[in-house]
Amino acid sequence: MSKHIYKDICEEFRFQAFYNKHSKDLHNFLYYKFGEQISPKDKTQEAFIKLWENCKKITPEKVKSYLYSTANNLTLNEIAHQKVVLKYTKIKPINYSNESPEFLMEENEYREKLQKAIANLTEPQRVAFLMNRVEGKRFKEIAEILDISTKAVEKRIYGALKKLRKEIDGI
Amino acid sequence: MKKEDLITKWLDNNLNSQELEAFKELDDYTELIRLDNAIKRFKPNHFDTDSELEKLNLSLKNRTQKQNNWLKPLLRVAAVITICFGFYYFTSNIDTSIKTEIAQKESISLPDESQVILNAMSTLTYNDNNWDSNRNLDLNGEAYFKVAKGEKFTVNTTSGSISVLGTEFNVKNRDDLFEVICYEGSVKVESELHSKILKPGERFLILDNIFIKDLTVIETNPYWINNESAFKSMPFSQVIAEFERQYNVSIDVNNINTKKLFTGSFGHDNIDVAIKAITIPLNLTFTRNSNKISLKRE
Repeated sequence: MSKHIYKDICEEFRFQAFYNKHSKDLHNFLYYKFGEQISPKDKTQEAFIKLWENCKKITPEKVKSYLYSTANNLTLNEIAHQKVVLKYTKIKPINYSNESPEFLMEENEYREKLQKAIANLTEPQRVAFLMNRVEGKRFKEIAEILDISTKAVEKRIYGALKKLRKEIDGI
Repeated sequence: MKKEDLITKWLDNNLNSQELEAFKELDDYTELIRLDNAIKRFKPNHFDTDSELEKLNLSLKNRTQKQNNWLKPLLRVAAVITICFGFYYFTSNIDTSIKTEIAQKESISLPDESQVILNAMSTLTYNDNNWDSNRNLDLNGEAYFKVAKGEKFTVNTTSGSISVLGTEFNVKNRDDLFEVICYEGSVKVESELHSKILKPGERFLILDNIFIKDLTVIETNPYWINNESAFKSMPFSQVIAEFERQYNVSIDVNNINTKKLFTGSFGHDNIDVAIKAITIPLNLTFTRNSNKISLKRE
């Protein structure tokens, strides 16, 4: 881990730089982990507010893990393990006439199955898998964000894929 | 290459072109791509770092403002309390002051039932507050004290301070004179240069800045409280000054030597008798014209 020449991030510009680097990842992390009904944006903001208020007490090496665990705890406090629901972004069909009702129905069914399967993944699996698939993040990046080894990321993602396919296709 | 490895590499976006071809040959290829495309649509809401940062800064600012809002009423309360305390402190520290005029005597009971008799032309100042724990008063002039037992009792004068625990004593602090006589108990007298503990009947005297040693009295309380001024080897000027304080007159001494010592007394009731009492022993004559008395050597 790189050595930090400053002792905290209470300086505004440091805090902002830190925000720019980590806020989006944190937001997405919360979304993958808890779903959209916890409003990941609010939780992200709350976590950063907490971080700012306590900035003097946190050494630079611990800032990131503090941020993630704070956001995590804030969210856990709020939800009593609700079912995770991820919003499926509907893409407007380019041309209605091109798709038969049959095809649309099949697509709908597939989507529902997938949604359920994703919700059934374990939290760590879901987070790593969606970071990888939705955002196209590579294993190494994910490992850095989650503070785990690349091998563990690979395991989680591959495990998630297997589980999904099993639930959808019965393979 | 094994199928599993290919899929893992594909997941990590790490396939080279050869491997990609092999991957496309897999039975699962279509299924995987379909799944992948579907998953890609579980996108989180767009997170615009810049605008979110702005919002964050705003709420951080509001937070500090909120603290201010909470601070303001508190400051108001604090201000009121401060004013109340200030007022209390100010009023509780106003001193009680008693002043006597020419020919006037005043008997005072202090809060602890100590008695003070104030001779003419004197001022006594004390503070009611904390009297029990801090018996402290200022005297300018002459007074006789009968102090009730209790905490340390201190009389401050311009010439020195007298402290006792419970006793009877007289303090006379006039122009060039500082005299303390102890009648009962013991009295500690501290002036700038001299300090002495007096036993009953002992007298502490500083006259014209000169400390006079080993003086005693035999009476058990000062004459003046019985309306008589008595002097023992006192300069005549002191006698005249006291006479002027007891009778509202001004005395013209002309060229009489006022340093001459006088022993004797005069009463406070009858000026005609009194003036004779201080003039005859020194072979002086006087002429009186209403409030003016002129002395002359015979």
